Amino acid sequence: MTVRAHLTRRIVFSFITFFFIITLVFFLARLTGDPLAELENDPRMTPEVIASIKALFGLDKPPHMQYLDFLKNMFLYGKFGYSVTYKRAVEDVILEKLPYTLALLIPSITLSNYLAYRIGVEIAWRRTSKVSSALIVLSIFMSSVPYFWLAILFLYGFSVALGITPIFGAVSPGMSFSWTLEWFIDYLWHYALPFTVLTLRSALSYMLYVRNSTIDILGEDYVFAAIARGFSNNYVKYKYVARNALLPIVTVLGLRYAFIIDGAILTETVFSYPGTGRLVYEAIISRDYWLLQGAMVILAASVIIVNFIIDLIYMYLDPRVRRG
Amino acid sequence: MSSNISSKILNFVKEFWIALSMRKVGVVGLAMFLGLVIVAVFAPYIAPYDPYARSGAPFQPPSPEHPLGTNDIGQDILSELIYGTRVSLFIGFLAAAIGTLVGALVGLAAGFFGGTVDNVLSALVDIWLSLPQLLFTIFLAAVFIKMKGVPMIYAIVIAIALTSWPAVARVVRSATLSIKERPYIEAARAVGLSNLSIIFKHILPNISSLIVAEIIYRASGAMLSEASLSFLGLGDPTTKSWGMMLHYAMARYAVLLGYWWWFLPPGIMISVAVLSVLFMGLSLEEYFNPRLRSS
Repeated sequence: MTVRAHLTRRIVFSFITFFFIITLVFFLARLTGDPLAELENDPRMTPEVIASIKALFGLDKPPHMQYLDFLKNMFLYGKFGYSVTYKRAVEDVILEKLPYTLALLIPSITLSNYLAYRIGVEIAWRRTSKVSSALIVLSIFMSSVPYFWLAILFLYGFSVALGITPIFGAVSPGMSFSWTLEWFIDYLWHYALPFTVLTLRSALSYMLYVRNSTIDILGEDYVFAAIARGFSNNYVKYKYVARNALLPIVTVLGLRYAFIIDGAILTETVFSYPGTGRLVYEAIISRDYWLLQGAMVILAASVIIVNFIIDLIYMYLDPRVRRG
Repeated sequence: MSSNISSKILNFVKEFWIALSMRKVGVVGLAMFLGLVIVAVFAPYIAPYDPYARSGAPFQPPSPEHPLGTNDIGQDILSELIYGTRVSLFIGFLAAAIGTLVGALVGLAAGFFGGTVDNVLSALVDIWLSLPQLLFTIFLAAVFIKMKGVPMIYAIVIAIALTSWPAVARVVRSATLSIKERPYIEAARAVGLSNLSIIFKHILPNISSLIVAEIIYRASGAMLSEASLSFLGLGDPTTKSWGMMLHYAMARYAVLLGYWWWFLPPGIMISVAVLSVLFMGLSLEEYFNPRLRSS
């Protein structure tokens, strides 16, 4: 397969995935109930008023017409409609919360990927050492502990028992954003605990994955040959072993960037952190179709973009893909 | 015929014991798991109180009457914990079993028929795997909970099962591909057996051990998913599950008030249950999954 055919195939697949996700979410969301059901319990609301509010949201049309409107508004005007809970444009609500989630998750994913990669390769290389076994046991234990409970333990330990970190929020109450050192310090103070839990947990669980992929390579003849040729340990470790184990690792670790909103839900719940993960969860629970749809478009788009970047990295790393 | 089946089951159990006992963690996992099963089955006899009844004043710290204290409405936390074993094991295993069977059928079809069937099913698996796991499970649970006539606990089971099948489909597909090439399948074809009877009489029996190992392995993930969903508040608020206990502990500020007897034990129980299943699953998968065994 040439590079071009490969890329075309991937792009077609990406678009199918994108439409699959947003279509599925659009129609399934309408099975979760009526977002305006509460209005009917309000005695001040006459049926005419309720009907006109429904018409405002397009709920008087059949679902497939609503779907066409949704696509039209998104692609032609870049609008996602109004959030029924926030009573504001969906894109404004999401853009207000997204920076908090991105600022928390991107550095955490990057650092934990780096740690998982370096430590994973290292413990694969010294697979018989005591430190390696201890880390593997720790990693298995870590992946059995429910993540949200680990976060609760950290919250209890550092914020309640020791009292050195705040108990909720991304900044102190009453603090509004400004480009000041005071704001930034307050922000970092709130940032420290969620960041630490997220990073620690994922570094330890992905470390095991890196180790297992790397160990498969260690048995290859070319590794043995490279050692026989007298290359230094570090050279063999990174130029022969890790280099060949890298492809599946890049996919698994790279895809984490596509699922930022997903990874943020539990953290934001435990630490009452105002971000998009919690926002999307609440959109599902309160049947705010429009907010959910808008968030899913962002998510589906990031799945596609991240996959595309992973493909480019693949081509850079693997000459078999690059030269076809 | 019945003795035939019972001897088959006996062989199956024997094979599992061999697979489990190959590694120490397998035996440890089995022991932990049997302990949990005993707690779940005999919950009414072990629990000191009815977990749904008010058996004391609310927010009591541990005392001889209530070894782990009481919750916000005066229910005994130890009894809640004991009954919670039932929900966790039930949802975990049922969701894993359904998810694995769906995945196995898809994997069998993709591996056996190849060609377009394989292309379409594999693409579906790829798309499914590119969905965000937790968010998608939450979303499906919200959809099924709304369906009339579906008890909430099954809504959760189906939601978890529907997000866990693609990984199984991949494993079963590759196992089917290797079995398909063996001479006795060719012989079965030569004597004119239909595709369906080849799949179900000649291929399925050969991967049944792998499927059971997958169910056990997936159950650990399913139990964690159940815990996360109930912690977020999705699930039957009146069912005693460990995740739901943590949900209420968090909602009633038990963490901020430092009531460790309320928020520590459920997490420990989830971890123990997941670990026991993971231990068994790790040693079974190593034994039954040919790819892992060779390496």
